[in-house]
Amino acid sequence: MQKINKNVVLALLSLTSLVFLLFQLCYYKFYLSQKVRENCAAQACLCGITPYNAYSETFSSINASPAPNHVVRKFLGLISSHNIPVYLIDPLILGLIDKDIEQIRSSDGPSTDCKYFCAPRDFTTFALLDKTWKHEMGLFRTAEKMGFQWLKIINKDPRLDGMDDLSGIEIPLHYIFKLASHAIHLVVFYERSGNYLWHGPLRLKQHMDRKFVPFRKLHFGRYPGAYEKPELVLVSIDDLKVQIPKNPSSFLDEMSHSRFLECRYREARAFFQLYPDDASLDAVVFRKKAKSLLHLAVRTLNNLGVKFWLSSGTCLGWYRQCNVIPHSKDVDLGVFIRDYKADIIPAFQKAGLPLKHKFGKVEDSLELSFQGEDDVKLDIFFFYEEDDHIWNGGTQAKSGKKFKYLFPKFTLCWTEFVELKVHVPCETLQYVEANYGPDWKVPVKTWDWKSSPSNVQYNGVWPVDEWDDVIQIY
Amino acid sequence: MDEWKPNPAIKPHKKRSWYLAWKYKLMNQRALRKLCQTGAVLFLLVTVIVNIKLILDTRRAAYEEEEESAQDYDDETLNVEVPRHPVRNKKVLDVEVYSSRSKVYVAVDGTTVLEDEAREQGRGIHIIVLNQATGHVMAKRVFDTYSPHEDEAMVLFLNMVARGRILIFTIKDEGSFHLKDTAKNVLKSLGSQVAPFLSWRDMWTFVGKKGGEVYGEKHAKSPALSTWGDPVLLKTEVHLTSVEDAECHWPDTELNRRRKRFCSKVEGYGSVCSCKDPTPIEFNPDPLKDNKVFDVPVAVIAGNRPNYLYRMLRSLLSAQGVNPQMITVFIDGYYEEPMDVVELFGLSGIQHTPISIKNARVSQHYKASLTATFNLFPDAKFAVVLEEDLDISVDFFSFLSQSIHLLEEDESLYCISAWNDQGYEHTAEDPSLLYRVETMPGLGWVLRKSLYKDELEPKWPTPEKLWDWDMWMRMPEQRKGRECIIPDISRSYHFGIVGLNMNGYFHEAYFKKHKFNTVPNVQLKNVESLRKDAYETEIHRLLGEAEILDHSKNPCEDSFVPDTEGRVYVMFIRMEQEADFTTWTQLAKCLHIWDLDVRGNHKGLWRLFRKKNHFLVVGVPASPYSSKKPSSVTPIYMEPPAKEEGAVAVPAVAAAEQT
Repeated sequence: MQKINKNVVLALLSLTSLVFLLFQLCYYKFYLSQKVRENCAAQACLCGITPYNAYSETFSSINASPAPNHVVRKFLGLISSHNIPVYLIDPLILGLIDKDIEQIRSSDGPSTDCKYFCAPRDFTTFALLDKTWKHEMGLFRTAEKMGFQWLKIINKDPRLDGMDDLSGIEIPLHYIFKLASHAIHLVVFYERSGNYLWHGPLRLKQHMDRKFVPFRKLHFGRYPGAYEKPELVLVSIDDLKVQIPKNPSSFLDEMSHSRFLECRYREARAFFQLYPDDASLDAVVFRKKAKSLLHLAVRTLNNLGVKFWLSSGTCLGWYRQCNVIPHSKDVDLGVFIRDYKADIIPAFQKAGLPLKHKFGKVEDSLELSFQGEDDVKLDIFFFYEEDDHIWNGGTQAKSGKKFKYLFPKFTLCWTEFVELKVHVPCETLQYVEANYGPDWKVPVKTWDWKSSPSNVQYNGVWPVDEWDDVIQIY
Repeated sequence: MDEWKPNPAIKPHKKRSWYLAWKYKLMNQRALRKLCQTGAVLFLLVTVIVNIKLILDTRRAAYEEEEESAQDYDDETLNVEVPRHPVRNKKVLDVEVYSSRSKVYVAVDGTTVLEDEAREQGRGIHIIVLNQATGHVMAKRVFDTYSPHEDEAMVLFLNMVARGRILIFTIKDEGSFHLKDTAKNVLKSLGSQVAPFLSWRDMWTFVGKKGGEVYGEKHAKSPALSTWGDPVLLKTEVHLTSVEDAECHWPDTELNRRRKRFCSKVEGYGSVCSCKDPTPIEFNPDPLKDNKVFDVPVAVIAGNRPNYLYRMLRSLLSAQGVNPQMITVFIDGYYEEPMDVVELFGLSGIQHTPISIKNARVSQHYKASLTATFNLFPDAKFAVVLEEDLDISVDFFSFLSQSIHLLEEDESLYCISAWNDQGYEHTAEDPSLLYRVETMPGLGWVLRKSLYKDELEPKWPTPEKLWDWDMWMRMPEQRKGRECIIPDISRSYHFGIVGLNMNGYFHEAYFKKHKFNTVPNVQLKNVESLRKDAYETEIHRLLGEAEILDHSKNPCEDSFVPDTEGRVYVMFIRMEQEADFTTWTQLAKCLHIWDLDVRGNHKGLWRLFRKKNHFLVVGVPASPYSSKKPSSVTPIYMEPPAKEEGAVAVPAVAAAEQT
């Protein structure tokens, strides 16, 4: 009996093994086939929308790629047939143009040689002012007929971002038109409060084709940017009529410092949930005064061509609550000492802001204070750059004591604050934390500039014989 | 084991001997056999374990891969795909309709598409329109046919519904008091047998296809005046048709694509969705020469009254000099249908999460809309503010274009408004005439950006304050003595009957007979004389040439003003101090103009027309123009009626408007 059992077990196990073997084979085959299909799908999605495109791309890469100027010509034809005023902002071509700008401006006769648009590159970048176009779909249909593939990148409208509970419409930020191996990048510029133009970042959404063009090589879209409204001029280059910024070199210069930071509206809302905004009449009045003082200061400094940024309490107000802090009693700006100009004081006096005090000297710890409308004061701190940090100085008038405020190195970004386009440190968090410590999120009403900041250092005393010069109070 | 083969020669009945033989044979190699057996078992076990492990491994790997690839493409926002409703292949819909005093509901295939059991709300006939092909709800309306004129609106609506749509009716509370014969006949023509006999507090449900079959009807009569009919519940089946039958075949253009999207979703917009010769959705009115308001943004403040919005946008887009690119519609709440209307016209719309309740909600919506407007159009110095229940006059933009420079230059101006509170059919005459008034009429007006940004926005009423934004704007703290410019004949017409501060009675008494300009290209006269000082000169000139009316007569009588045309008359009323409006209110009441609060005054002077004569009313002695009164004339004094009177007739809104 035992023997039979053993044999039966043996037979059963053999059978199971066979079944498993078969099952395994089957499963493996299924798994393999699925994987193949998956790869296939992925490839199709990455390489282009239709096999035809994949083909045309390989074809063009084997042969010499068609000159970019043909694509540009086609694109300009498309654009002008729809009456869309675009202008050229391609840094590469503008760089070339800039070299012989005088010649281009004066010459009317069409030059036959393709000097600019034939330069080898993957993209040509154009700008479009949003309000000059109605975003009609007709353009895209024509573009498709001409053989372009296009991609539209939309995102939330930042102009409505600062507002509670508006479901902001999504707005187009970038368009890319691709023909064979060359692509046209069309950046949409929007006018914003503060009389400047803004373009958005280029961010791909989930379903988008990541290999449509080599996005990383694009000149615009890594960050949002802020620009002055450019003066345009119509020129004829390479036998093509195109609008370009009147002064390409200053545009290119602007471009290199154009990075824009949006205010952190969501965090600001969270802050106001925690610490409700001061809606008292005093607060309203102070904000209004601070705003007009800031507007005046910005106008004055911009006229002088002095680069500045929001500093101290004003910067904290922007970063934390996107507004002026009502219990801060002044407006604070920072200026690099290398940008100091002797005209600053007379210019402010001319603008109706008398000098209140001047501490320090250009070589050391300079600080200017101007008297605005009733008690609101404008402080300009001058910043000194060292190898590994940046600092500004403070002076106590009665004792002649000097203080030093240390900041990690930073660069400047544009932002919008109370309807002004102004600079703030790009590394705002480090800047604010250096100044106000890790608890900067908690409003503090009593603030001592000599002891409260977490980055303050005692810096000796001014020699008494210099006092007349370095401590001037009016 | 391999060498062993069953011997076919052995017969079944000899099985035992066969087995024994086999056993004996194997016994000889016991050790070998044992080894083989254990080896096989072990091998098999290992195979099984390896197999199981392999399966598990591949499965996990496949799963992880899937997840990874998903993460790769996950950029910033989780795109949650809304599960789509399974395509309904079903050809029959189950419809349930319930009608009773305090509750109505409609369920289609078990899904409740209407449920209203709120107290003191939703009285009247509820109508639901279903798409005959998909069964989707295309429109949902309630007509309070207990109140006057609502039946007319219902007839209008029913006429606009396309043939073939499925209509569902149910009554809540009362729906027959002002249901006139015309409306009953329309219901009858839809196939209702009960409708002609509907009476006080009857309950009624009806399901039918427009211009087609009747799917069911139920009715419960009210036994007595003081009670309601028994609740009725109608259960019926509706047969669906094919999609092709339910759609029109318009030529494929961008406009028609918008139209198609709209018409397949919603119903009740009449000819815009008619298959033959649909009404246009693009108007291309004549451009204005030298249009000074072409770049002024237009904010349309809307709630959930899509059919109002439709009518409003039509008139707005037909006005000469309109610039559709500058129009933004702000919708208070995440309502779909108003957004559909906005998209139909190719305009941009923004939805706003409602904050607070009632008046404060409207007020917060206004604030958000105005702020957004100036954010979106940072260059704009002004914004035109409109509401969804206004008709816009054909020369609205022409009127603004001719007057807007005053708002820019004259600091003493608060706004330009298209609305004259006192401009009724019988009191307004001259489309080219403008006034300065101390009140802010609203209803289509222009706001200066500096006023909003510097003064109003920072101290706008917070959500917890249940204030009307317009009342707040009229308060002296905000207005600061500034005035608004208004036309004699309004350039907007307030047609809304349903609203927060609005009902049928109120509309009929105060808005229906308002005069509305329909003449295009009116050339405004005296625009420059609207400036602060020039206007005083103008008024003095006017008073100088005015004939003094006979103050012994009753000013309410028609004969108070002679039967002339084109003359200027003046009367004097008693007005002890600046805020004494006792006599004015009584006069306004008997002239059937706005009397709920004081509107349209300028330094104790009112200007209107009577029998086509310019009619001036001066309050003596408070008005600085009192000096024009000859000493022989005694100002007229009119006593307010005893308290109880009037309080009944004035609806709840009056209280709100006067606070």
